[in-house]
Amino acid sequence: MELKTLELTKKFGHKTAVKEVNITLSNGVYGLLGANGAGKTTLMRLLCNIQNPTSGTILLNGRNIEGLGERYRNLLGYLPQNFCYYPDFTAFNFLCYIAALKGLDERKAKNRAEELLEAVGLLSEKKQKIKTFSGGMKQRLGIAQAMLNDPRILILDEPTAGLDPKERVRFRNLISAFSKERIVILSTHIVSDVEFIAEEIIMMKSGRIVHLGNPQKITAEINGKVWECMVPASCAEQYAAAYNTSNLRNISDHQAVLRIIADGPPLKNAVKVQPTLEDLYLFYFKGDERQ
Amino acid sequence: MKKLIEFELKKIFSKRLSLIVLIGLLVYSALTALSTYNNKYAFDGKSADGSGKAAVEIDKALGARYEGILTDEKVQQMMEDFALTYDLHGLNAAYIYQNAMQSAVFARFADMDGHWNGLSVSDVFGDEEIRIGYVDGWLSTSKNLVRVFMVLALAVIVMTAPVFSGEYEGVDNLILTSKYGKTKGTAAKVAASVIAALLVTALTAAFNLILAVVLYGKSGWDCSILFASSDYVEGFIPFNITCGTLIRYQVLLAFTCTLSVTGMTLLISAASKKQIVAFVASMALFLFPALLPLTETNPLFRYVGLLPFYHVQAISLLSVEQIGSGILYGVWAVPVAAVFVGIGGVVSSRIFLKHQIV
Repeated sequence: MELKTLELTKKFGHKTAVKEVNITLSNGVYGLLGANGAGKTTLMRLLCNIQNPTSGTILLNGRNIEGLGERYRNLLGYLPQNFCYYPDFTAFNFLCYIAALKGLDERKAKNRAEELLEAVGLLSEKKQKIKTFSGGMKQRLGIAQAMLNDPRILILDEPTAGLDPKERVRFRNLISAFSKERIVILSTHIVSDVEFIAEEIIMMKSGRIVHLGNPQKITAEINGKVWECMVPASCAEQYAAAYNTSNLRNISDHQAVLRIIADGPPLKNAVKVQPTLEDLYLFYFKGDERQ
Repeated sequence: MKKLIEFELKKIFSKRLSLIVLIGLLVYSALTALSTYNNKYAFDGKSADGSGKAAVEIDKALGARYEGILTDEKVQQMMEDFALTYDLHGLNAAYIYQNAMQSAVFARFADMDGHWNGLSVSDVFGDEEIRIGYVDGWLSTSKNLVRVFMVLALAVIVMTAPVFSGEYEGVDNLILTSKYGKTKGTAAKVAASVIAALLVTALTAAFNLILAVVLYGKSGWDCSILFASSDYVEGFIPFNITCGTLIRYQVLLAFTCTLSVTGMTLLISAASKKQIVAFVASMALFLFPALLPLTETNPLFRYVGLLPFYHVQAISLLSVEQIGSGILYGVWAVPVAAVFVGIGGVVSSRIFLKHQIV
């Protein structure tokens, strides 16, 4: 299966949210990284066909998704960034409703709903009304609904928002197990989530794709630019503000270790270290965050 | 599709506001019926009088006494039986109310002093054969149904307004990305709204008719509305229809009203991003004709009168010239409702499935 965008552009008035994006996605997990306002959510909505592009096309196996209608949506699972539920529905009923919309027959829907509620750790709460759920529980229910139809294309916008570390690990395992022979696209601000499960990273900035590749390949771009150096704890914050710093760690009352991204050694005692995806993220997006 | 409609119905009826409105509607129906019943007064012209149940018993007994076709002899008999024994001090006898039968005969056959005015049955009703009897119960029910059906229309607006606008608050992206979200899913919303309106209308009508039978009994169903006491505007409908026909028309018009309101509200719901906007706009649009200075004598009323507001104001609509062969003009409300539902359903679906998630 191949999902391809050709010169995909989306404008809102004078603002261009997605600009001439050309990507080809085949089976695998794609992590979509970018600062707030980079165009990630708009790109996902375009891929889900719930926003019309200003120009450009999206092709699934060479066919425009506009013309595929139900056949395309049948392959799709989507977890939006901001969404609501029916507060008076139980978790189980909600999943059964979404399953009916996805065209699952009643028996299959019930089995699948139970299966997914168990997978996201909500089976014991299946008869509880959604209005009693915490934010994390609602998010897990959102993940479950996206996977109901066993989608071939799974698009998850900020799926780990509101999840505690244990739930994030559960989510990562769930996606890893699910992703075979499927296209999974997930956006997140938590770089480590992507780092663990994504085979390919798509980095967006100002509506454009600035990088697409596997984590090793794209972090190689900043090889030799990530440094760690020991500084007096009393000056650590001044140094951190002066450089593009990805981490500050106090190791004693008097000393701290700074992780700095710079073309050359920022301080005399700086030691070159292996770059991570988080370093790359900061390298590209330092100062880009809108919120 | 069936399952989707079930879920949509569940959504409509599981909303707390919908439940409150429905319970409120039934309570209002019961209170209106009981209050009307308790406010009844009757004096048989001789010795018995009373209110509430006693008044209904007196009226029923009098209705039974004169039951049948209205003749000049019966008019004379009634004028004699209900002859006034006290000084009116200048009051017009036509407005004297002792009991339903007396009021009906005095309104048409008495002069200011309460004596026969010289008119015969054919002078008043032409060639029409007027069947009289105990009509007060059904006419009270008809009068109450106007108010109850008005509240019913507002209840349907409350139930229908969130059908699309509620989804815009965050579930639309899930619906529109699912296989049937843009096809059967949207059609199910329209179908469920129509079914919900039909169910609630049927429930309300049945509840009120059962209350009527329990309180007043079934007698008078086949009697003419034209021999109504002066309390009822129903008596001014210029056609010789029975109480049963009147009630049937009212129930039919309640259905056409709620269906029309459903179509209209669905359209506004799809066009509004907020539920509250859909509520307010739908109610304003429904009630707007009340502000128009039109009566049934105005030629424009033939068209404006077909708006859903006038379906529940049944007396005005039923007073427009007959279509012919005993069919009242009000039946035009049926195609009008079909148009409202058709346009509302189709356009609202298109608006919903074409809208962009932002």
